[in-house]
Amino acid sequence: MDEERVPLFKKWSYWYALVIGFLAVCIALFYLLTKHFA
Amino acid sequence: MSRPDWFVLALTLLVMIAYGLYKGRATKDLEGYFLSNRAVPWYMVLLGIMGTQASAVTFLSAPGQAYTDGMRFVQYYFGLPLAMVVLCISFVPVFHRLKVFTAYEYLEQRFDGKTRTLTSFLFLLQRGLSTGISISAPSIILSSLLGWNIVWTNIFMGGLLIIYTVTGGAKAVAYTQQLQMIIIFSGMTIAAYIVVHRLPAGVGLSEILHMGGKAGKLNIITTGFENKGKGFDWNDKYNLLSGTIGGFFLALSYFGTDQSQVGRYLTARSLSESRLGLLLNGLVKVPMQFLILLIGVMVFAFYKYNPEPIFFNKSQITVLEHSKYKDSLAIVTAQYNALEQRRLGGDPVGDGKEVYKATVRRWLDNIGGDSNDTNYIFLRFVTDYLPKGLVGLLIAVIFLAAWGSISATLNSLSSCTIIDFHKRFSKGVSVSREYRLSRLYTFFWGAFCVAVAQLAYNLGNSLIEAVNVLGSLFYGVILGIFLVAFYRKRVGGQAVFVSAVIIEIGVVVLGVLIQKKVVGLSFLWLNVIGAAGVVLLSELLNPFLCKRVPSSPQRPG
Repeated sequence: MDEERVPLFKKWSYWYALVIGFLAVCIALFYLLTKHFA
Repeated sequence: MSRPDWFVLALTLLVMIAYGLYKGRATKDLEGYFLSNRAVPWYMVLLGIMGTQASAVTFLSAPGQAYTDGMRFVQYYFGLPLAMVVLCISFVPVFHRLKVFTAYEYLEQRFDGKTRTLTSFLFLLQRGLSTGISISAPSIILSSLLGWNIVWTNIFMGGLLIIYTVTGGAKAVAYTQQLQMIIIFSGMTIAAYIVVHRLPAGVGLSEILHMGGKAGKLNIITTGFENKGKGFDWNDKYNLLSGTIGGFFLALSYFGTDQSQVGRYLTARSLSESRLGLLLNGLVKVPMQFLILLIGVMVFAFYKYNPEPIFFNKSQITVLEHSKYKDSLAIVTAQYNALEQRRLGGDPVGDGKEVYKATVRRWLDNIGGDSNDTNYIFLRFVTDYLPKGLVGLLIAVIFLAAWGSISATLNSLSSCTIIDFHKRFSKGVSVSREYRLSRLYTFFWGAFCVAVAQLAYNLGNSLIEAVNVLGSLFYGVILGIFLVAFYRKRVGGQAVFVSAVIIEIGVVVLGVLIQKKVVGLSFLWLNVIGAAGVVLLSELLNPFLCKRVPSSPQRPG
């Protein structure tokens, strides 16, 4: 069924991990930017 | 504005209306009118979600916010990606399985009719009013800066889009949002390029970041504990904790229970495409907001090398020129300009210019004017420094950002009115009459929102501020109802209905106390309090009010 077809990955949980992981990376980068240019 | 600017502005808006009318034709029933026959691909779902969330003020205020307060505003969006994940796990599959038109339809199946009516009513109330404000806010800015008539600006801002939204419904909304987002991103990219291009040779992004950092504008991550010895600042809206937790609840409520957003991803041609649109929104929203704020830091750097106006809102300067401060203003402005010339010549001037700026703000406060010019910073730069034609394009960006958000909202207000109220309380309506009524309701809500925009202008800034927090007053409670529906299967309709009414009254009272500064709390926390309050109170009341254990929701017949 189309509902079960997950683009790019095998499971939706990988997509969820990607979104949360990317947010964590963004926050880490923003923290470094804040510290570096403070 | 010059003639080329007027031409670009008029052409962009006319093309948008024509495109909406063309793409929205052949939509003759409710499934087509409100859900585009559930045939929209993921990338249009993504652009629709983004276009609905980003109002005109997003593009006007955010650069100004970074200019004055720094980039910490980006933290407001940290909860959004987390909310996207929760929505994809819990909310979206249920909405798709039940094939609902509105999110509130689900509540009748899970609880009862009155809970659905209450929730849909709360949505119509707050969305109808806040959409009026989202028309009014950019109209006030444009009319102040460009000297336009406010009534006509309101009509153009909130009225022209009614033409294609009434005619083409969700399909016209989806296609125009796609084109609008492309034009908006192009316009903002060009503006950013011109800021950097107009800086002196040798000043690039690295220098801009150093300048911004030195001035405290690169405060991207803040903890809320910056005031040492005073603990966590609960009044602070933008820090890591309030942005992640408060922002999570706000985003979960907005994307999961606000029909203007639910209506966007229900148009997707499958559950997978809805999920993909939402998850990609979770991926791109934070970097996008970061880049918009970065434009504000670029404009800040630009004014390090160019004369900065003593006050960015020209119309308020005109007001002062006709007040008792007329002569004092002329003296202060001359002194300020001389100081700016010395600064640009390389002389150290310290905080001198801030003293002059503060004086102007104080005078405006004294005569009841608007002393906050944050929203005018970016647009003042655009009108003063962008080449002919591009000013028109950037003004068009403001209009299109407003249209994308408002058209989706009108479509959702109409769908709730007909699906949650009209169809339920007047039986035997034919398909063609349903369709005609839907168009009529869309038109009614459009006219209502333009009228609210006019009223908001007449009543002044205090009402605008009050109505701007409307979302936080209602979103938490609506989210609480949905959280109980999804996660507390034992709780019945009576308990959740009574809890929602009690907590809503409590949140409104708390909101008034915050507004009157009796309670020191950021409005963002009202979302958490509302949602948690409904969940906890309904659990407590359920043993006393529950008549039967509700079964899992079934697909409607």
